[in-house]
Amino acid sequence: MLMQQLLNGVVVGSVYALFALGFTLLFGVNHIMNMAHGSVFMWGAFAGLYAVTMLDAPIYVALLIAMLAGGLVSVALDVFAFRPLRRRNAPEFSAIVASIGADLVLLAIAQKVSNTAVMRFPFDAFPVVVYTVFGLRIQLLQLVIIGLVVAMVFGLVWYLYRTTFGQRIRSVAYSEQTSRLLGINPGPVNMQVFLISGALAGMAGVLIGLVFNSVHFAMGEPLLLRAFVIIILGGLGSIPGALIAGLAIGIVQTLAVAYVSSGVAEAVVFVALFIVILVKPTGLFGQSTAAMRIQRA
Amino acid sequence: MTATLVLQDVARHFGGVPAVDKVSLQVPAGQITGLIGPNGAGKTTVVNLITGLLHLSSGKVLLDGRDVSRDEAPDLARAGVARTFQNIRLVPDASVLENVVAGFHRHEKAGLWANLLGLPSARAEAKWMNERAMALLERFGMTALAEHRAGGLSYGHQRRIEMMRALATEPRLLLLDEPVAGMNDAEAESLAGIFRSVAASGVAVLLIEHNMRFVMSLCSHLYVLASGRLIAEGQPDAVGRDPMVVEAYLGA
Amino acid sequence: MMNFFYTYQSLFDHILVYALLALSQYVVLRAGVFSLGTAGFAALGAYGCALLITKAGWPPFAAIVAGTMLGTLASALLAFPLSRLRGVFQAVATLALVQIVLSATQNWVSVTNGALGVNGIPKVAGTGVLLSVVVVVVLLLVAMGRYSVGRAMDVIREDETVAVSLGISVPYYHRIAFILSGLLAGLGGALQATSSYAITPGEFGFGMLVATLAMVVLGGRTSVWGALVGAAILTTLPELFRVFADYRNVVQGILLLLVIVYLPRGVADTVIAMLRDRRLRRRATPLPADPVVGDPASTGAPPVNPSIDAGVHA
Repeated sequence: MLMQQLLNGVVVGSVYALFALGFTLLFGVNHIMNMAHGSVFMWGAFAGLYAVTMLDAPIYVALLIAMLAGGLVSVALDVFAFRPLRRRNAPEFSAIVASIGADLVLLAIAQKVSNTAVMRFPFDAFPVVVYTVFGLRIQLLQLVIIGLVVAMVFGLVWYLYRTTFGQRIRSVAYSEQTSRLLGINPGPVNMQVFLISGALAGMAGVLIGLVFNSVHFAMGEPLLLRAFVIIILGGLGSIPGALIAGLAIGIVQTLAVAYVSSGVAEAVVFVALFIVILVKPTGLFGQSTAAMRIQRA
Repeated sequence: MTATLVLQDVARHFGGVPAVDKVSLQVPAGQITGLIGPNGAGKTTVVNLITGLLHLSSGKVLLDGRDVSRDEAPDLARAGVARTFQNIRLVPDASVLENVVAGFHRHEKAGLWANLLGLPSARAEAKWMNERAMALLERFGMTALAEHRAGGLSYGHQRRIEMMRALATEPRLLLLDEPVAGMNDAEAESLAGIFRSVAASGVAVLLIEHNMRFVMSLCSHLYVLASGRLIAEGQPDAVGRDPMVVEAYLGA
Repeated sequence: MMNFFYTYQSLFDHILVYALLALSQYVVLRAGVFSLGTAGFAALGAYGCALLITKAGWPPFAAIVAGTMLGTLASALLAFPLSRLRGVFQAVATLALVQIVLSATQNWVSVTNGALGVNGIPKVAGTGVLLSVVVVVVLLLVAMGRYSVGRAMDVIREDETVAVSLGISVPYYHRIAFILSGLLAGLGGALQATSSYAITPGEFGFGMLVATLAMVVLGGRTSVWGALVGAAILTTLPELFRVFADYRNVVQGILLLLVIVYLPRGVADTVIAMLRDRRLRRRATPLPADPVVGDPASTGAPPVNPSIDAGVHA
């Protein structure tokens, strides 16, 4: 029984990690806490769902559509909310407020379109196949999810560390000013980052929609809050941190829901966040940039 | 008599790269000491180290004989260390007067509750600070601009506001980080007069500048920094003729 | 005339309560503290007050004070660790706080009655009480803003490095702002409870968080009037125009976006600045050139460098 719950926790945790990866990437490169990331995730889920229900698309196509939708919404956020602020050199505060505003708009549109309904993927969207190994029930879906997440992570790491585009992204993350001096135009770099993080969020949307069997306009909010815990626990801008913390949160939450109650599980997650922020805001793997930055440029 | 500010072998590394390496200097009261060097020599880093915005990797900073190497920036400011910034840092939406009054913070005596409730002691203190600030504005010839938005004024005016704010703290040590950058000679000369009078009143002044000519007429002693190291020091004329200094500037 | 007033009385009450909450948000933002915790402290104030009245039989005004104290105590405890954080971290920590309080009020059913909320709270906070409280608070905040505390907060908000170099202790003022914010929020929450007969957990969730933030962003975060104007506008709009009520969230969202991008200082603060500039231009003589200091004939001197002396911008 415990092993079963652990497996469930790993599956959920890996999707959390996927979502948090996009979030932490944005922070690492742009120093933005994108409060609308949860809605990007939700729009990805919606896109995937409508692809299946209205276009009769097979699930893997729906997944691709979800990634595309997530990426586009994310880039739109950059263009309409963040870019004008960057141009003005606006303070951090403005970016967060702008993302809150954008989040409200995205939520409201989704609410209207879906009529506040809780929808679900059709029963046959993903083949229901269960393997029983040593008394453990493993669904094909679970294996596919883990596989996809692993693939995405490898893909991201390869992209960041082995391609020129990725190199440029890392350079801008390190210092936008220096990168400009080196001739790297931050504009396309930022767009790529938003695109990638949005795509990851969109994929996560469909996967969560399948795992929990529900797609709902407010599904992004709890995920965003968990993402906060994950990236702060794992360290802002740290990829391994997001992965490990994501898995940890997924496991802790699943176990808490199974053995205590969902209400308590919520509370535990946030108290954990609170304590981590107060005790070690840089997280387990983060850089020391989280500490008091007295000197501004 | 010990100098107001003494640096002993001060160094600062950034991940193995020395930005400032074994710098020793003295800034006595009542004189203007200059710290010059080509761009990127580390002059602003030295200022940040003195004012506590950066921690020392090694070495000592002594203020009137007291070791302040480990002191935090607000403590140093309260001990009488004032500075101006290379890139002007004012509160753009506040008036000139308000910007200058901010400098009186370390002299405030009225308690927290008096200020929260607007009691007479707080009001009297505010009045006193406004008067002192206006006196400073008069000294700098800017009384007509007291209510103007600081952010909308010319570069020359903004430099002056920064200066007034630093003087409002009534410092023992005044660090001027490229105070006349971008000014023409006439404007620079008018500020020079003020620096001389500040030094004459007993303050130790460290002038960081890039402009050799300006520095020559003003400073009684010069230190030359290049690539984080002191390459020369002494009387301005001698330093100006030092071949190493000439090379550092020409090569930069 | 009085008829008009009675019709809109409950709207007015609502504006007054939200004015307090907006002021709570304003206080922290003015000092550069990025706290979003107003809704959480308001919940503590509201529930503290409501439960003391309905379950412990306390006299209402004593309960209001107690509720306010609860909010203040919570913010005082948190002020110390929170003053060590900056920006985004303060935001996330206070967001988590709101969520924690929300979870507690929703799930601790034995104490808080869960999602059903607390009912039957006597309405002791009528318009008169609310108005007096708001007036007193505004006077105190205006006084605070005028003297050393307000000045220090302004410098800290605009440029922390400068504040530090002037000897201002940043954590100290962050704490003051945070505790004041908790006090005002607790008071606002307690008054909300005693002016609307019932409270539910949902009232103190992200809806309130976003609303109070939007009010201060819209009105302006550097002056007291900003919070008041923002509260008045955002509370009144849904009443005047049905469309705003139905699409409340979209409107708030779009407003937040447009204001923060195009009018970052907020409506009230921008107007105040414009009025001040106009007053100066009307009263002042043409801008003097950079004078040569110490020269008594300086006002008659020709401009030294006309291109630099561009003069005041509107």
